[in-house]
Amino acid sequence: MTRSLNELRPVYVVGIGWHRYQNPSETPYVELGLTAIRSALADARIEWPAVESSYVATALLGMASGRPMLRHLGATGAPLMHVENASASGSTAFRHACIEVASGISDVALAVGVDKRNPVRRSDTGIGHLAEDAVVPFTHFALLTNEYAVRHNASAEDIARVAVKNHHNGAKNPNAQRQQERTLDEVLGGKRVSGSLTALQCTPIGEGAAAVIVASEDGIRRLGIDAGRAIRTTASVGRSERVYPPGAGFDAALTKETADLALAQAKLAPKDIDIIELHDAFTVEELHYIESIGLCPEGHGVRMLKEGALDIGGQCAINPSGGLIAMGHPIGPTGIGQIGEIVMQLRGEAGPRQHGGARTGLAHMVGVGAVCYVHILQK
Amino acid sequence: MQPNKLLKPGLYSEGSSDRDGATVRLKGGRCRCGYVFFPMQTYGCERCGSHGDALTPCELPANGTLLAEATVHLHADKNRPAPFTIVKVALDDGPVIRTLLADDSAPVVPGQRVTGRLAPVGQGESGETVLDLRFSIAP
Ligand SMILES: [Zn+2]
Repeated sequence: MTRSLNELRPVYVVGIGWHRYQNPSETPYVELGLTAIRSALADARIEWPAVESSYVATALLGMASGRPMLRHLGATGAPLMHVENASASGSTAFRHACIEVASGISDVALAVGVDKRNPVRRSDTGIGHLAEDAVVPFTHFALLTNEYAVRHNASAEDIARVAVKNHHNGAKNPNAQRQQERTLDEVLGGKRVSGSLTALQCTPIGEGAAAVIVASEDGIRRLGIDAGRAIRTTASVGRSERVYPPGAGFDAALTKETADLALAQAKLAPKDIDIIELHDAFTVEELHYIESIGLCPEGHGVRMLKEGALDIGGQCAINPSGGLIAMGHPIGPTGIGQIGEIVMQLRGEAGPRQHGGARTGLAHMVGVGAVCYVHILQK
Repeated sequence: MQPNKLLKPGLYSEGSSDRDGATVRLKGGRCRCGYVFFPMQTYGCERCGSHGDALTPCELPANGTLLAEATVHLHADKNRPAPFTIVKVALDDGPVIRTLLADDSAPVVPGQRVTGRLAPVGQGESGETVLDLRFSIAP
């Protein structure tokens, strides 16, 4: 018989930390990663030797980048593994750190994501393509934007409002790459990239690091960790793309099936979620995914956005961190940074970004390929 | 006159010529389970996993319905100077493909019928015309 994460022993996030996401710089990745890990250890108030296992999420650093970073914390001999799963690398590392602790193999594990913006290299499958070299990610999502706009009679302004909200949230986040409020005119008037997408509706290229430490109840007791600040992971689901019926977009369909499984695992309905951190690399994605997660019927996302229902303080705060558009998307760290933001919110420690009374948060990532990961955390 | 040369002969072949130029056949495949895919490959069926003899080549007419379009304003690869327009087309036989809109095509909107043709995109080493697939509004 198989079991889901929440049928194993409880696992809690007990420490969170970042190196600010930023424009590409000369800072070595080792410094980015160590900053995030030391800040997560300090947040948990534990020392490095307490960490029994490490998962290093990175998509662009190349082979075996973890040990040259972790050795500077004191080489304890604890196991480490690298996780590459495109944009979902960090989410995948978090899932496996949770599974390791929930299964009883370790009491304390680290998931750390770190990346520099090196060129993306993908291997040739041996199957030809018509023009896929001309369809980079922003054009994939420009096509989806066009489809969404026509199907739901949404204007370019409607869709661009996602960026206005997320830049507003990012402006209050000291770990965000973009910390500047933007008006609708600024968003729409920026450099045109592809289709109706402008630069401020696309995630920026950047670097950074994020770390979370997870622990069992035994670990929390043994190390004297403050249980009042521990946030439980109540669902973890990973899926990959299937063959969907003709006409169904795989991005939305894959998110729907992954989110449905995660909600069922946590025994929650979409209306129970207070905050969501989701993969808004491009504005239209936020509308697609809130509809796929089930916050509203298909095509109703713009209405919720305009009503303020997706703002901090609204019905369900979407991307209170600023999301990929404002906080940034350094790839390896991104999914782990989402977990950190949700933990901060559920603890009530999010300061000017605090969504009042937040008790339940959902983290969602997709990665090219395509994969989807959803985690639910509860106070 | 030099003969024409196809840019990607593994993916399509020249069909009969009509008033609007050469028609094109896409080199797709069909699985024993009924799944139709593009391009042809023998690794295995994405729907059922069958491979080998279960997968047979199948010519697909380049006719379909436009799902989406996007004009690319910025593109890093100097070999494809922007702007150009990408179209996402649901072929009548099932597969969804993404490729370029013909430079001389009228603007397209989702829901429209579109058709693929071979269009000159450059010259080969011995002076022959190089043709590649481009979509435009169906006549
Ligand atoms: Zn098949």
